[in-house]
Amino acid sequence: MDDLYRSELMEIYKDPTHKGHLSDPSISTEKQNTFCGDHLHLTLKIKNNIIEDAKFDGAMCFVSIIGADFLLEEIIGKTIKEAKKIDQKKLLELINLNLSTSRVACATLTLKALQEAIEKYEQEKN
Amino acid sequence: MLDVIKIKKDFPIFNNHQDLIYLDNAATSQKPQTVIDRIAEFYSSENANVHRGVYPLSEQASEAYEIARKKVADFIGAKSSKEIIFTKGTTESLNLVAQSYALENLKVGDEILVADFEHHSNFLPWQIVCQKTDATLKILNSDKSGFISQKEWQNKLSKKTKIVAIAHASNVLGTINDIKKIAKMIHSVGAVLVVDGAQAIPHLSVNVQDLDCDFYAFSGHKMLGPMGIGILYVKETILAKMLPYQLGGGMIESVSMNETIYADYPEKFEAGTPNVEGAIALAEAIDYLSAIGLPEIRAHEIKLSEYLLNGLAKINRVKLLGTADAKGRTGLVSFYVDGIHAHDLSDFLAKNGLALRAGFHCAMPLHQSRSCGATLRVSYYLYNSEQDLEFLLSNLEKAITYYG
Repeated sequence: MDDLYRSELMEIYKDPTHKGHLSDPSISTEKQNTFCGDHLHLTLKIKNNIIEDAKFDGAMCFVSIIGADFLLEEIIGKTIKEAKKIDQKKLLELINLNLSTSRVACATLTLKALQEAIEKYEQEKN
Repeated sequence: MLDVIKIKKDFPIFNNHQDLIYLDNAATSQKPQTVIDRIAEFYSSENANVHRGVYPLSEQASEAYEIARKKVADFIGAKSSKEIIFTKGTTESLNLVAQSYALENLKVGDEILVADFEHHSNFLPWQIVCQKTDATLKILNSDKSGFISQKEWQNKLSKKTKIVAIAHASNVLGTINDIKKIAKMIHSVGAVLVVDGAQAIPHLSVNVQDLDCDFYAFSGHKMLGPMGIGILYVKETILAKMLPYQLGGGMIESVSMNETIYADYPEKFEAGTPNVEGAIALAEAIDYLSAIGLPEIRAHEIKLSEYLLNGLAKINRVKLLGTADAKGRTGLVSFYVDGIHAHDLSDFLAKNGLALRAGFHCAMPLHQSRSCGATLRVSYYLYNSEQDLEFLLSNLEKAITYYG
């Protein structure tokens, strides 16, 4: 059979670049997907409004791992303002997977966590 | 073993999807041509509302509807067809018991017992009843094999227990509970027994009088019948005292500006135009199942369970839920693979034509009690073969290698 996913994605799934926990995060957040039981821990290091580093960890499926790794790759080095512009449509374009409706929630788990984390960070700052 | 090749020809879905390997029968079964035809026949040549008109077409429709009721009553060994209420499905049946029986009879200090493996539809109605009546909801914790131990019953069952609601067979574990034994035990403290039979009725020969349960709920669509038709059996002594569930047409004796006299049961519990074609098509499904024979279907499934359990035991990292004894299960096995998400496995299998369920199967408390994430559920029926399961096992191994 044809492989289910592109081979480069399989490599990311097996060894995600941005998996782990930052030891001294500016902000951290937890997020769950009750549909499948996935849970995620996201840590961000922010300095002068720039996301210097970000890591994710948790019990996650293939699609949510890919969604997380692509998203973090995209936002590291960007300003908060730029990171906030990334929406579901943009993320789905980035990962370029043919997803069923039920699995879009997997792909966007980390995006939702990021949006919450930024909101929390901005509230704490003000 | 059943002649699966011959049986499959009765089910047009397999002709329309040649590569389909359908292993999601616990969610819904496929339908034989006879059942599909019966629905079309009703609307083509018998359609009229029931219990209303005095013209022949309406009387014939009413008669067919009542013959269906009698067929269901006989199928589950009820004493009388008056004990059979047609509903939308198991969920509505259980909600009917919660509203028309439990809310009327429970008070502060009373207790309801439910098992930790219940489907949400046999869990949430009792949660609400307890919130509204200040009764207490207690959970019977199952052991590793999926059964409630004698000790657990002794710890939880008391004179305070008024209702015990339990699945005849779990929709996740597949385990079959000894309802007859449970009925005897809980009747001795004066409680009533509500049985969720959704996962048992397609597979086991059920006799409600022999089981001695007070309520038995099930759906038509898991036993080859159409969706949207279900049954609630209620023991007549209890039913006679119950208040109606919904109000409207078809359930009254007389109505005046000041007073309403309800119709006798079971009509009293069937307000509005019922699902007539569903009821008569369910009767057709019962005929089909009876012609093949439930004991034959059961024997076939036990063979399939043995084959599958044996195959799964040989695959590294597969963790089984519930008993490893094929005879203690319906045609259903749930498991997970350490380190690989059930939805990922399911995606891989689906690509090869294998239709099975991944998730929590409407039983989140059970998954919490087992500390596991989503699981894969394989559920088979009379048209499944060992070849289907062999194909599943080999693809499961491929999937595990793929995800690593």
